[in-house]
Amino acid sequence: MKKQLIILLLCTFFVLGLSAQKMTVENVHKASSRNASAIKEGSEVKGYYFFFISDKIDKNTNEYTLRITDNTLKLLKDIKFQDSKHVAILESSFNGTDLIFLLYNGSDDTFEYQVYGADGKKKHSYTRQLTKKEERYLKMTYLTVNDDEETYKGLYPIENNGFVSVMPSREDKDYTFQVDFFSSQKRKQWTYTPTEGGKRFFGDYLGQYKDVIYIEVLRYGGGFDQKPDSYVLGLNLETGKKVFEKPTDSKFRFYPASLSLVNEGKAYLYGEYFDANANIMKDNSKGFAFWGIDEKGVITSEKYLSWDLEMGKQLDVSSRGRIADFGFMYLHQIVQAADGKVYAIGEGYKKVASALGIASAILTGGGSGVSMAKAKVTDMMLIEFDQDFNIKTAKMYAKNANSVELPSGYEFVSTPLIGKMLKYYYGGFDYAYTQVNRDKTSFSVCYSDFVREKGGYKGGTFNSITMTDGKITTDRINTKSDAKFSAIFPNAQGQVMIMDYYKKDKRLEMHIEKMN
Amino acid sequence: MFIIFDPPKQAIVRLTCLTILLIILNNFLFGQLQPVYRFQQDDTSLKRKYFKEAMTKKNKLVSHLGKENSKEYKEAYDGIFDIVEGLLLSSRTITDPEADSYIKSVTSRILSVNPELKHLDVRVVFTRDYPPNAYSIGDGTIAFNAGLFVYLDNEAEFAFALCHELAHYYLEHSKKRLDKLVRLKTSDSLEKELKKLSKQEYGVGAQLERMIRQLQFDIFRHSREGEEEADRIGLQFFKNTGYSGTAPITAMQLLDKIDDTSYFSPLQLAKVLSFPDYPFKDRWVKKESMIFGAMNLDEASGLSKKERDSLKTHPDCSRRLELLKASAATINGQHFQINESLFRKFKTSFIPEIVEEVYRSGNVSFNLYLALRMLQDGQHKPLAIYSIARALNEIYQHQKDHKLGLIIETENRYYKEEYNLLLRMLYRLRLYEIAELNYHFCKQHENEMTGYEGFADEMKKAKTNKRAHQ
Repeated sequence: MKKQLIILLLCTFFVLGLSAQKMTVENVHKASSRNASAIKEGSEVKGYYFFFISDKIDKNTNEYTLRITDNTLKLLKDIKFQDSKHVAILESSFNGTDLIFLLYNGSDDTFEYQVYGADGKKKHSYTRQLTKKEERYLKMTYLTVNDDEETYKGLYPIENNGFVSVMPSREDKDYTFQVDFFSSQKRKQWTYTPTEGGKRFFGDYLGQYKDVIYIEVLRYGGGFDQKPDSYVLGLNLETGKKVFEKPTDSKFRFYPASLSLVNEGKAYLYGEYFDANANIMKDNSKGFAFWGIDEKGVITSEKYLSWDLEMGKQLDVSSRGRIADFGFMYLHQIVQAADGKVYAIGEGYKKVASALGIASAILTGGGSGVSMAKAKVTDMMLIEFDQDFNIKTAKMYAKNANSVELPSGYEFVSTPLIGKMLKYYYGGFDYAYTQVNRDKTSFSVCYSDFVREKGGYKGGTFNSITMTDGKITTDRINTKSDAKFSAIFPNAQGQVMIMDYYKKDKRLEMHIEKMN
Repeated sequence: MFIIFDPPKQAIVRLTCLTILLIILNNFLFGQLQPVYRFQQDDTSLKRKYFKEAMTKKNKLVSHLGKENSKEYKEAYDGIFDIVEGLLLSSRTITDPEADSYIKSVTSRILSVNPELKHLDVRVVFTRDYPPNAYSIGDGTIAFNAGLFVYLDNEAEFAFALCHELAHYYLEHSKKRLDKLVRLKTSDSLEKELKKLSKQEYGVGAQLERMIRQLQFDIFRHSREGEEEADRIGLQFFKNTGYSGTAPITAMQLLDKIDDTSYFSPLQLAKVLSFPDYPFKDRWVKKESMIFGAMNLDEASGLSKKERDSLKTHPDCSRRLELLKASAATINGQHFQINESLFRKFKTSFIPEIVEEVYRSGNVSFNLYLALRMLQDGQHKPLAIYSIARALNEIYQHQKDHKLGLIIETENRYYKEEYNLLLRMLYRLRLYEIAELNYHFCKQHENEMTGYEGFADEMKKAKTNKRAHQ
């Protein structure tokens, strides 16, 4: 301990006044990313937090340190507080001025939302008491799943105003979700939980327009309901009162994925659409749809682009959405640039015969547990639409196909459902994330790949497709190095943080790099 | 020391860093940089001579070590002499005969009129380093950074700064600090206290933090007292030199505001990097939201104002000035005694030396920043143009190879806003934009750079880079 004390002292001296081009941490015996995460404003990383126990106060209480750094890992502030030894940090968000952290206290089953202002001082704290049922449901969903895609994460920034949380919830026997708004300006909070007309509700935050927040809701009549009602819920930002509930079924069944303000500040919903009677768990989407919507929930325009007609002009697309050699397209993200152009980012996949599955079936008489079909993940796709949502271009970005072996029985499952399983269950896609800069003049789509170049590089790669001022560029970073392991983390748009761990030297190196 | 660099502490860092976590910043890529600018002619035999003298001193110190704590002292000396080696055997030291003769003359003037200093084995050298510092390493080597010299107004200020550093060496401040740190490392009472703490279950972190704070406070307090003592004794040496008594006062005033001073005018990025066919884009430097954007800079330290002040290595320069003022005012003398024209010459000729050394140290973004400001002010213009073209090509290549983060710094709240703007721009420029920018920059200066060694190569690279994106 004495050595540690002296070194702590000396490190303080040594580090002061030096400037960083890369940060190296020596003598790291084990590297772990637990209790550390990026702080984002929308899709852009603005900083990182590191949460750790800094002292034990008594048998029930710890002192915690919440270390906040900027996106170049420079220390901004250490926030220290004492709390139960069962406290964990769940997520954070930044709304351009204020910062929010969500903490979970396992001893008294509470969520605590702590809001910090631009001056670094704590502004407000909101507490939510969880019921036993809620806690059980959250433990199956939100508290358990912590994937790269942040499937259940949901703290959305409302610029200079506050934060919206959308989280799974229980209300009596119903499985539902809860929308909370936490003001960062004054101490104010509201909660909305849909319970009427259904047994299960799933909610996805779409965005904010004027003083309304938009939530896409799927309402199931019961546990076996295959055709849930879909509607867009509008909630008043100030009061949390329902403003409208707009069904998304008209001549087609539309599932909005996001909301953007385009064409002089008008709000548009966009996503895939299906036949009116489609089973979304099994059936193929028919294409993309764009709906104009106002703050009262009135639909001002509808545009449908089908795979077989509009998209077929640009690509070799079959009527079922299958593109030659590409397979089916899984839509990961839709973004809109400052010039009004809309870009859809997708990735190909298809169901193919599995040699392993077939061989196993023959050898075991069908009892191997491995399907005779496997999923093959193919190329990336970028589709560009103009301001009027007409397709301008569609381009494939080739990558090496990789296969995901499926469990027995999946040979009979529809391909669209396999796409959803790949995304949410197997994490089988190579797509990593999309980031858009604040003024929407640039965005980057990032994905991984594995290459085997003749006489050249063999190993993993991290790739990007970047649009800046209408110009598309691509880039690749080889992730195989002398390091024991390398990891690439999102940073500001168009940048990544590369972390290399050199086990032999017990050295952890971190540096920020730009994607070209 | 004027702005202190503290060798004994570094020596102790070396002494213990084998076993514990140490954060090291500034790891530069020396090997990949190909400079064309030629430094002032250095005297390599003189460097070797100085280094040999320093090694003799080290051997003498080691051979005189007693049994007690000899291992700790030996490791500390290794650390100190690594610093001496890093200085004397690198390109950082200026040993151009004219510059060396000048600094020796001023030092000799001080030594000759202060008999108590005559026995000191000192080696005083100019360095090409940018930080406005002068420091005594503790073995007799005193370094005077060009980064401080270029701010001085007269030879008397230079002499006062040297007197201050000589006083540190005369008073054995480095040795005393080293003794203190070795005592701390081998202290029984500290050992006991830590042992007790290691058996404690709760509140260990808080107590450990209090102990660290106390130790830091103690060490820095001694450091501050050392500065004041070096000011006082340095002034006594200075009194005998015949230099003007206004110099200690103006030198201290200069130090007080040196962070806000520059030998260049503020950089107007949008003007310097805008061309008729490739105008500057506001997007490159547009301000973005920032976590804790309105936070007081000192907040991050987590210390009270009093604690922060007490932990400074140097007490407030205005306080030091007050302590010196009355005595200094009584000294009559001249601003120049050795050579005014050489002093003025070095004030100008050291600037490109600093800029080039920054590049050779691997900090390409700061080199670009200084070169842009040189160009804007019309100082050393051909070198400035060449340096900018070279830096942008380096930046292009490193970005292409995803190693840009190794040669450019990142924005920092403690940097000047104009440098932060440049850093922001470098991180936002797309690869093709860097190529375009450098091509248009080179094109604009092509005619005036005809015949300048190295420029044609940089222009060729810029053209090739631009073509790669067409």
